[in-house]
Amino acid sequence: MVDTLSLTPAGAAVVENGPASGASAIKAGFAAVASGLHDVVLVTGAERMREVNNLEATDFVATLTHPLAEYIYGVTLPAHAAMFTRLYMERYGVTERHLAMVAVKNQNAAMRNEFAHLHQPITIEGILDSPEAATNNPYVAEPLRFFDACPVSDGGAALLLVSADVAKGIDRPPVRIAGVGQATDTHAVHERTEPTDLLAVRAAAAKSFAMAGLGPDDVDVAELHDAFTILEIVESEEVGFFAKGEGHLALEKGETALGGRIPINVGGGLKGRGHPVGATGVAQAHEIVTQLRGEAGERQVDGAKVGFTCNFGGFGNNVVCLTFVKEA
Amino acid sequence: MAREIYAYRCRRCGTLHYPFRMVCKSCRENDMFEFDPEPLPKKGRLLTFTHVHALPADFDVPRLGLGIVELENGIRITGQLAVEDPMMGMEVTGEVKVVRHTGYEDRYGMVFS
Ligand SMILES: [Zn+2]
Repeated sequence: MVDTLSLTPAGAAVVENGPASGASAIKAGFAAVASGLHDVVLVTGAERMREVNNLEATDFVATLTHPLAEYIYGVTLPAHAAMFTRLYMERYGVTERHLAMVAVKNQNAAMRNEFAHLHQPITIEGILDSPEAATNNPYVAEPLRFFDACPVSDGGAALLLVSADVAKGIDRPPVRIAGVGQATDTHAVHERTEPTDLLAVRAAAAKSFAMAGLGPDDVDVAELHDAFTILEIVESEEVGFFAKGEGHLALEKGETALGGRIPINVGGGLKGRGHPVGATGVAQAHEIVTQLRGEAGERQVDGAKVGFTCNFGGFGNNVVCLTFVKEA
Repeated sequence: MAREIYAYRCRRCGTLHYPFRMVCKSCRENDMFEFDPEPLPKKGRLLTFTHVHALPADFDVPRLGLGIVELENGIRITGQLAVEDPMMGMEVTGEVKVVRHTGYEDRYGMVFS
């Protein structure tokens, strides 16, 4: 790519970290600039997933699961999300209606994002309540339905990271990466002590906020990794926006919608924007930078000064959280 | 001979692991693969489950039951679930069977019913 863009002799490297590749690449680029090693780093994320059919894509992504303890049984990412959802339903009272509310919120938000993959509005009636819903929105892995999962997408995103000195010469409103946090969890999901916890999300967010000297209550706009609708709810709790088990209640009250207390995935999220795996973390950062620059048009969160992203690898075994601050 | 799925007990602190890992997650001092394998029990309680309809490669069935089971000794295992209408918390018993045929080989794992 360096050659295609005629950037030689700039250095180049590939970062491969599953669904968290994008934010992992940003982390590497951030470290390179922060250390003084480089003063300009171009971070790109891209994936072409529609070269193969959906089942092949699902199976390829399923190889992220534990090879001996999960993959051999036919466990896929939707299967993990489904088993996790059932526990969440039992323990906290999340229902299929809450999941559908996330799907509707995010897929409809994508209507206001020209870069989104899906430009097809949906309603609770159409995907849950109507007689046609069972056909429109069949189970993929019970209790998760088709519209609970992000689409299989092609896509790309890019971010230019520059030192503070270089930023002075650039005629664009600067946004600072204020916090970088990454954490891991067990590979086999069944080994986690509390099966409804996503500890890597909790730890990565805490590290990111600590580095930024900020907390979850300071965030004006967030991009969470809603590869499945349940994940937006649970991540909104684990990063600290809401108490454990109360994310779905905040969703009900509209607190996570555009105009709410903490708007989440106003660019459509993975659900509406799409999830080209390697591009997602970079696309999340792009959305936040667009918001903090006040350039998000009809999906703009008014006065947004602090933004946050959560990029979720595997089924939460490798997570990167970033905190962004609008520079005065 | 009945097939078994093995867990691995740390010789230094006694923690039981499934699946296999190189270093004990409790004492983190086990650095010479000092684990003793022991067969997992077959009986347990269904912690959670799903029926997958969008099946991955190698599965030629209408839907695939999967679950996480908390076994009698407290160790959890992910396995296939051959129960038509499962209930959270129900008692299940496992058997080691072919769980995936890849075209090259048969893979064995726990099937609960
Ligand atoms: Zn030990």
